[in-house]
Amino acid sequence: MKIAVCVKQTFDTEAKIVLKDGKISGDGINLIINPYDEVAVEEAIRIKEKQGGEVVVVCAGGDRATEAIRQALAMGADRGVHIKVNDPDVDEYARAVMLAEVLKEQGADLILCGHVAADDGSSQVPTRVAEILGLPHANVVTKLELGDGKAVCTREVDGGMEVMEVALPAVITCQVSLNEPRYPSMKGIMQAKKKPIANVDAVAVESKAKIIELALPAAKQAGKKIEGEPEDTGKQLAEWLLNEVKVEVKQ
Amino acid sequence: MAEQFASKRNIRFMLYEVFNAEELTQYEFYQDHSRETFDMIIDTIWKMGVDFLYPLYQELDKNPPQFVDGQAKVHPATRQFMRMCGEGGWINANWSYEDGGQQVPLLITFVNSLIMAAANCGLSGFPALTTGAANLILNFGSQELKDLYLEKMVSGEWQGTMALTEPDAGSSLADIKTTAVDTGEGYYKIKGQKIFISAGDTDATDNTIHLMLAKIEGAPPGVRGISLFVVPKYRYAKDGSLERNDIWCTGIEHKMGFKGSPICTLVMGENNDCHGYLVGEPHMGLSYMFQMMNEARIGVGIAAVGKATAAYYDALEYTKQRLQGRKPSQKDPTTPQVPLIEHADIRRMLLFQRAVCEGGLSLALQLSKYVDLAKVGVEPEKHELLVDFLVPIVKTFPSEYGILSTSAAMQCLGGYGYCQDFPVEQHFRDIRIDPIHEGTSGIQAQDLLGRKATMKNGAAYRLFMEEVKRTIAEAVEIPELKPQAEALAKGLEVMDDVTAYLLNVRKEKGPEEFLADANLYLEMTGLLAIGWQWLLQGIVAYRALQNQPSEGDTKFYRGKLVTMKYFFTYELPKANTLAHVMKTSQGLTANMDISLFDEE
Ligand SMILES: Cc1cc2nc3c(=O)[nH]c(=O)nc-3n(C[C@H](O)[C@H](O)[C@H](O)COP(=O)(O)OP(=O)(O)OC[C@H]3O[C@@H](n4cnc5c(N)ncnc54)[C@H](O)[C@@H]3O)c2cc1C
Ligand SMILES: Cc1cc2nc3c(=O)[nH]c(=O)nc-3n(C[C@H](O)[C@H](O)[C@H](O)COP(=O)(O)OP(=O)(O)OC[C@H]3O[C@@H](n4cnc5c(N)ncnc54)[C@H](O)[C@@H]3O)c2cc1C
Repeated sequence: MKIAVCVKQTFDTEAKIVLKDGKISGDGINLIINPYDEVAVEEAIRIKEKQGGEVVVVCAGGDRATEAIRQALAMGADRGVHIKVNDPDVDEYARAVMLAEVLKEQGADLILCGHVAADDGSSQVPTRVAEILGLPHANVVTKLELGDGKAVCTREVDGGMEVMEVALPAVITCQVSLNEPRYPSMKGIMQAKKKPIANVDAVAVESKAKIIELALPAAKQAGKKIEGEPEDTGKQLAEWLLNEVKVEVKQ
Repeated sequence: MAEQFASKRNIRFMLYEVFNAEELTQYEFYQDHSRETFDMIIDTIWKMGVDFLYPLYQELDKNPPQFVDGQAKVHPATRQFMRMCGEGGWINANWSYEDGGQQVPLLITFVNSLIMAAANCGLSGFPALTTGAANLILNFGSQELKDLYLEKMVSGEWQGTMALTEPDAGSSLADIKTTAVDTGEGYYKIKGQKIFISAGDTDATDNTIHLMLAKIEGAPPGVRGISLFVVPKYRYAKDGSLERNDIWCTGIEHKMGFKGSPICTLVMGENNDCHGYLVGEPHMGLSYMFQMMNEARIGVGIAAVGKATAAYYDALEYTKQRLQGRKPSQKDPTTPQVPLIEHADIRRMLLFQRAVCEGGLSLALQLSKYVDLAKVGVEPEKHELLVDFLVPIVKTFPSEYGILSTSAAMQCLGGYGYCQDFPVEQHFRDIRIDPIHEGTSGIQAQDLLGRKATMKNGAAYRLFMEEVKRTIAEAVEIPELKPQAEALAKGLEVMDDVTAYLLNVRKEKGPEEFLADANLYLEMTGLLAIGWQWLLQGIVAYRALQNQPSEGDTKFYRGKLVTMKYFFTYELPKANTLAHVMKTSQGLTANMDISLFDEE
């Protein structure tokens, strides 16, 4: 089975984000594989280990994106495709078109993705890719079983589970509870160096949406301190909750 | 618990800006490596630290091992971690490809050790011990021993230990009583008792392989009569299956800290059936141990740095957040209180911690690089001598000053530092072992002054001096660093002077008085060695600042320079006092009448 995994490189979730000239400053910031995509890589490797095949990692991004690809290769993927994207602000539509172009060429039996990116959290790209390629699509999957030309996917839905079947090839996005990604091994790291990464230019496509502004969350508001005797402070607190916080009181 | 337990930025600085790790890849042994592989290795261990090790740090302390069914029942994460390290290839990453390793420089794997120890020192001991034990078999064992034991050890399925200490032989290994009798059938019969053996028998692995010191019957007395044996808990029977060996864990100690890793009492040969397999030649045991000891002792230094570093980040985070008191200039009591870090005394304590941690790490990595260079034949004699000279220092300075550093972290937290709400008190307890195991500070001190300072007619001592002087010569050219460079040069003169004085004491008064203040000598040398490492870092930081670095980097380099200045202003001068004491103590301790301690 040939499995393609879409991997996005994101800022380290521990990184302290700094805005410089309205853009996120990449200075000294650690980049990682989007944690949800890491689950997709792990799932693909497990399938390969069980039934053989090939795992191709596809990543659209700037120069440093090869680091993310190498990490997936160190975990056990076989080869990588780096779609060179120089503009970091391309929207989800354009990104999906770029990925779909390469995925079509790769002709995978299964396309795995994370269900959301930890940085912009838009959850659009895999769904758009499925649409462009005309493939069945299952989202936020917590259990994946492969059968003859089909996949049985268990999904989290409000208050329960949904089990659905899709014909392969399909685009499936992974939830973190699907598996626990392995750490790359020492051997894997050394082998990753020797595994091929193809560089391809992204197809020319215009974004449909444009980022107008980035802003950091407002600094935490200082708390309010109420001082005095208990009967007094109680009253003050109630008034503050009613008038300033504007808590609605149901009669 | 602070979010941060170590600094990736500082690791990058040390590896790529100070020690030029990539330079190693020009040698054949390391040629498959590159900055990329180094980064991937460190990123992987870092991730393990963040996701797995650090969250378990306090839990391991609160749930210490129990003695159940004749072995130490340890936290279940221990088994998981050993397998993780085994499957990841981390236990033998330094080994050659032929031996199953990945030829990683020690410079890199010691950074791994730092991260692991900072995140969870209790767990990090298990794979490290296995590495040490496996190294002994690899370097000195027969092919048969290698074939039988190494694979399972480096896969993390079997634990390795170092079994040296006995009830009557801790510092004085020459006095061990465990015996070995040759049966003529390919094995010896071992009889005796060992104590304090880390990971000596736990449920984290399916077998435990002891690298044990024992005396073959009729061996000469003293250190020349000690041999090294592999003593497995489960040994191979004739048909190749595993059978129980006659070695039994009779209990574990209740320790002050470092609780994740149990220490076991072991009894061998109660039923006269404990098989041991000789490693290398008879009577060479201690010599083999010592050849492997250098790496183990750098490891202790690194572990101490790790613990102190984690405590430092706790103190840093806390003092930025806790509002307490006002600045001396703030006379108005209605103004809000300021964060603790606004107080100069708090900054002094934070700088002390940073100076100890980052200075200690620097020295440890300096030695690691020497070992890496010697290994590939780059001036091996020189680099080995430097390592020999510096090992007692790199083992002791971070251990002893690390205790002071974690204590300063606790002080920064005030009353909360003393309580279990924050992990600082645990770091304080955990680091206290480091001046004791792997040779106490007292023993390291005698090794430095009694052996290393004079070995090969003082060749190691002179090489150390030359290395430091090279750094001084570079720094003196930079006006901003000139005062520190000159202070260090003065320090070396003081060291020369006191060394000559002490050698004369040896001649005139004998070894007792000569070695009486060895510990002070070790501390003084430690201060100078750390001063050297700070000067080295200062040069790099100063130069980097000349190239318009980013805002974040500018802060980082300026922070380095301030910490360097702190060390030279507040800490280095202590070397002079120590030298003064050594020259005036006149055998006060060596010659005192011990009955004067009696009060009756
Ligand atoms: C947590 C822990 C883990 C350990 N792990 C291991 C292990 O895995 N394997 C193992 O074999 N051992 C292990 N040990 C034992 C450890 O190595 C010894 O405790 C250490 O070597 C000191 O020996 P001792 O305890 O007998 O102290 P002693 O030798 O009795 O020393 C007591 C004090 O006397 C001083 N002293 C002793 N002799 C001299 C001398 N000649 N001159 C001047 N001062 C002297 C020492 O410096 C020390 O301050 C461990 C111990 C602990 C606590
Ligand atoms: C075991 C124990 C028993 C105790 N028993 C009692 C008791 O019986 N009764 C009682 O009332 N309290 C008691 N305490 C509280 C104890 O007195 C306080 O913990 C202590 O006064 C420090 O205050 P703090 O913990 O708030 O630390 P902080 O005041 O937050 O101090 C933290 C650090 O900041 C430094 N610092 C604070 N302000 C300044 C400043 N202006 N300039 C420079 N540095 C500053 C401190 O020196 C310290 O190093 C006890 C505490 C413990 C741990």
